[in-house]
Amino acid sequence: MAEIATICPYCGCGCGLHLHVSDGRVVGTGPVRAHPVSKGRLCLKGWHAHEIVDNPARLARPLVRRGEALEETSWEEALAHAAQGLQAVLQSAGPQAVGVLGSARCANEDNYLLVRFARSVLGTPNVDCSLAAYSLPEYVPDASSGQLADLDDSDLILMVGAEPGEEHPGAGARVYRALQRGAKLVTASVRKHALARLADVHLPLRLGAETAWLGSLIHVLLVERRMAGAKAEKVAALVAGVADPNPAATQSRTGLPAAALQQTADLYQAAGKVTVLFSSTLVFSPEGARAVRALASLGWLGRLGIGPEVVLLDLLSRSNLRGCWDMGVRPGFLPGNCSVEDSQAVQRLQEAWGGPFASGRGLPVWRMIGETQALYVMGDDPSRTLPEWPDKQAALRKLKFLVVQDMFLSPLAALAHVVLPAASFAERQGTWTNLEGRVQLARPAVAPMGEARADWRILVDLSRAMGKPMPYQSAEDVFAEITRVVPAYGGLSYRALGVSGGARVVGPAHHEETGEQLMPVLAGASSLPETGQQFPLLLAADPSLGPWDDEVTTSAMLSAGGEFTVVSRENPNGMLCLNPADARKYNLRPGATVQVTSAKGAERMQVRTSEEVPEGVAVTPYHHATRLGIMDIVTEADTGRPVIAATPVSVEPVK
Amino acid sequence: MSNPYLPDITTIKRVKPETYDTTTFTLQFDEPKAREQFRYRPGQFVEVSVFGAGEAPFCIASSSHGRDDFDITVRKLGRVTQALHQLDAGAQVGVRGPLGNWFPFEEVGGKHVLFVVGGLGLAPLRPQIQDVYRQRDKFASVTVLYGARTPEDLIYRDELEQWQHLEGMKCLLTVDVATDGWTGNVGVVGSLLPNVKWDVSQGVAFVCGPPIMINFVVRDLVGMGFAEDAIISTLERHMRCGIGKCNHCIHGDKYICLDGPVFTCLQMKAMMELEP
Amino acid sequence: MSAYLLPWDRLEELVGRLLKAAEVIAPRRLESGDVFYGAIASPAEVAWDYRSAVEPLKRFLLPQREPILRFSTNGKLQVEPIYDEKDRVFLGVRSCDVSGVGVLDAMFGGDIEDPYYMARRRRATFIALTCQEPDEHCFCVCGDGGPFLKKGYDQQWTALGEGMLVEVGSEKGQALADSHSDLLSQAEPSHIGERLRLAKEAETRFGDFHSYIAAAMRKLSMAEVPEEVWEKGADHCVECGGCTFLCPTCSCFTVTDRREGDVVLRERHWDACMYSCYSREASGHNPRATRAQRVRGRFFHKLSLQWAQRNGRHGCVGCGRCVATCEAWGHMAAVSEAIRRGWESE
Repeated sequence: MAEIATICPYCGCGCGLHLHVSDGRVVGTGPVRAHPVSKGRLCLKGWHAHEIVDNPARLARPLVRRGEALEETSWEEALAHAAQGLQAVLQSAGPQAVGVLGSARCANEDNYLLVRFARSVLGTPNVDCSLAAYSLPEYVPDASSGQLADLDDSDLILMVGAEPGEEHPGAGARVYRALQRGAKLVTASVRKHALARLADVHLPLRLGAETAWLGSLIHVLLVERRMAGAKAEKVAALVAGVADPNPAATQSRTGLPAAALQQTADLYQAAGKVTVLFSSTLVFSPEGARAVRALASLGWLGRLGIGPEVVLLDLLSRSNLRGCWDMGVRPGFLPGNCSVEDSQAVQRLQEAWGGPFASGRGLPVWRMIGETQALYVMGDDPSRTLPEWPDKQAALRKLKFLVVQDMFLSPLAALAHVVLPAASFAERQGTWTNLEGRVQLARPAVAPMGEARADWRILVDLSRAMGKPMPYQSAEDVFAEITRVVPAYGGLSYRALGVSGGARVVGPAHHEETGEQLMPVLAGASSLPETGQQFPLLLAADPSLGPWDDEVTTSAMLSAGGEFTVVSRENPNGMLCLNPADARKYNLRPGATVQVTSAKGAERMQVRTSEEVPEGVAVTPYHHATRLGIMDIVTEADTGRPVIAATPVSVEPVK
Repeated sequence: MSNPYLPDITTIKRVKPETYDTTTFTLQFDEPKAREQFRYRPGQFVEVSVFGAGEAPFCIASSSHGRDDFDITVRKLGRVTQALHQLDAGAQVGVRGPLGNWFPFEEVGGKHVLFVVGGLGLAPLRPQIQDVYRQRDKFASVTVLYGARTPEDLIYRDELEQWQHLEGMKCLLTVDVATDGWTGNVGVVGSLLPNVKWDVSQGVAFVCGPPIMINFVVRDLVGMGFAEDAIISTLERHMRCGIGKCNHCIHGDKYICLDGPVFTCLQMKAMMELEP
Repeated sequence: MSAYLLPWDRLEELVGRLLKAAEVIAPRRLESGDVFYGAIASPAEVAWDYRSAVEPLKRFLLPQREPILRFSTNGKLQVEPIYDEKDRVFLGVRSCDVSGVGVLDAMFGGDIEDPYYMARRRRATFIALTCQEPDEHCFCVCGDGGPFLKKGYDQQWTALGEGMLVEVGSEKGQALADSHSDLLSQAEPSHIGERLRLAKEAETRFGDFHSYIAAAMRKLSMAEVPEEVWEKGADHCVECGGCTFLCPTCSCFTVTDRREGDVVLRERHWDACMYSCYSREASGHNPRATRAQRVRGRFFHKLSLQWAQRNGRHGCVGCGRCVATCEAWGHMAAVSEAIRRGWESE
């Protein structure tokens, strides 16, 4: 039996793990004690990572649609078919009619080649990734960006929205250990989860008011407590813009207890170093961009020497979301996290790619689905991120051509005209960049399942089939080019990345924001969704509630899969989680099917109760809310994202 | 070395639907030697393999007397039971067993035997009822009180018909909710308890059914004067091996598959104290 | 019990001979920097100077994923078991890990033997290496699992000045010593003396590491632990399963069938009682529906007198791996302390 050190393919932590291999098969997973991220720990997903490799549900052969069915075929046939289909749309409708989606689960080499494939081979600027589209890379200045080790020596941890126990146990372990050594914890969230119960101060957040309390905190620190001292001038503009200045006003508007805010200020001032943790729970809210920038203002204060040192840690949900950003899998960006307007970046890439390419800003994913006629999707699952997924699904069915490359037959792949089987993280080399910007090399433990191929290789083979070959022989070749054109990755190599731990890269700073720039963030009243007699509850989409429940790779797990699929079995219409007092009030029995009605319509769901949910609020997993037609969708001003907002609803038992 | 995980092959001899989601399968071992060696007592269970779907535990639902095959009564709920419901007579399934302990028989000779049963709980008790009735001269009396939610949820309906008219056994039925055509008792099965007129200090009660029903009935029985070790039930748990190795069926300090599934009320109370 | 001396200059030859006769599992330093027990190809690979291996010996007796039956449905239905019948010598393994095997023996042996475990176990020879220095999280003194063993090994080696002191603990161990008697000499009283002295010294070095297991055991066995301990304990656990998978004595497994063409393979996989669906029945009913119940279930099974009586000893050998691998703060040291004194108010 051999032990291959590699990295976990799941969340953004990028924990090290050993795959146990026997007779050419992966038979187990174990930890890596010497790993700088995981330090000998793994979560449920990590411990069962081997189960998605040697798995009977894996796609082993290419599939081509013939009538209603997808049938197995040869690579030659499938690639020819894919090339023809894509070329037909390019010729009849032009490159703008084709879209390409990359993946926060795939390697940097895969995403990089995907961008080249899109812009150079297909000639389209439409490149995005559904998860990357909803994250907010440009709002955390790298100057504030922290790493997991910052949790080890922080005096105060400020956890906003995030629930590491569910989403990022690798980070959660550090928080628990910080508590043991006496660090203080302040949690700000809607649900009062385990760490919130253990926190020194818990700030119960009202839906829609995610930024308001930050403004109040800044007011308390800078105005009431004059924390800026002699530097007060520097922060004047910031202070002037706070909309909800005093805690009492915040309390009356949002229900956030003023005393709790004062306690938070006490802990903040007493700290020498603060780490701020947040995750998609904050980022996916309508206030997401504003809230993240408000948090960034704390980092800015720290750098001015006002108050404690503050680092921000965005707990990214998937293994290579960071790499996605770095490889330019977003509209208006190019590999290197450079804007399409960066002429130096364009030139670098032209040299690397041997000629001009479509260098414009393309459509974001929420427009790609619906406004294009053909889509090429590598490992992405928009159903878990895009709101009003049923509409999107209807649009996908109308596509002239859809090609999906993936490991399992995801619901998206089931709609495709061509499905190409991808190799897993354990069957090929490649680099993944974790939430700290740590680039790590995954090493192959076994040969690919059946005829599956590494994602980057599929793109090379397809580009050849389309008559525009991309000249790469190995993943290492691709990485070598990445190190030449992505400035932050310069100087790296597979050898330098070593066996375990990789190397951290720090990208270019986007915004070194000044008080003037941050002021508008905090100014302007948030519009809080209102309930009333007709719709007395607020239904919120919660990304930290069962985030892995229906993910294709977790439900396919042979033994631990039961943990993930049972939620969908027990809640066939989706789970609605309420406070027990509300369940009693509205006569809702746990387990019963109920009708949830908003101004937009009605849906059926199954009821569960939990003390963690505050009264007046109902939560459903985010990836289920994307499939509902009853949620309010707002277009976020700063980013243009259509975002699911907390929606006033009524809930009744179904006869 | 013998392998307790190795199933013997049986063929499904008969498939008899009991309700819309519950079916009785009659299984017979293919090998005569396996048939001979399969000696079991009421209360024991078997692990049934539907090859490709998996394996699950089921109580043996028929007396062995006069038969070289046996019944299991299965509700369609999960992966294995759904796969089982796709099979017809002639299909083969694997069986391991008999497993677990059994209902006391000789030990309760001379007593008034009372069965208080709800819904699918009749399946594990049916072999005991059949054996006790057949040897009723060894007992002071035999009473069966059986209830289900609606008439459509009653199982073994043809036998129930017979039981209600047997000499030497008193069998009363009830349903929680009557539907058209039902002329019998309406009420929870506990409501039939006043029909027990004999001295409960000379009685033993076998109880099985949904957990809530068991709780209420046990309370009533204790209230009537039954000693806690004279009330006997059978527990079920998620099992992956049935032989005390996988640990899934542990409750407190007991393996339900090895120390049970049959327990007295007193034993269950002790288990609940260790693990509420 | 006989004791021998294996001089240092004979060590390599002995290991070489072991390699010719069986698979030798020993501590190896991997590229990643970790030490794992694994099959060595040459005597030089043994990392004699290690403190603890990342994983216990469990994987070699009860694999994380193990095919146990093969059903062929081609024509007549046939069922065949799949056994691993390799001879293995476990060389230089830690006392706590050998103690853990003793608990697994009780669980997989007894009245009903698990043939898969036994097939591997009967062909296994354990040469334990006594510990002189504790690793970061060790508390074997508290868990009665080391640093020196009184029984449970085939041979127990202690590094002395002149070589390895070889203590024989079983017939298998004696037979092994006999077959390599040309490399061994009778242990002198001075060697025994040195070995006893080292044991005493080791105890003091390990002695600071407490987990108060005895106190926790008493309260658990008498059901005297307040509910609040389990409620709060639940907040200190994220159900990663790490404590279960790295524990030398944990052995819960689940069983799945998978189709590969005409063949159905029945496999068993490690499972964890901490997982939410561990005891969930097909009906949806779950006797351990809350995390607090699962935390209580785990520690009752590990430490109660009731289970200790069934298995011959309680379930914690003090290896410290759960402490190292816990993704929250719900490991043996934390929970046994909480059982004793409650969770500290945060």
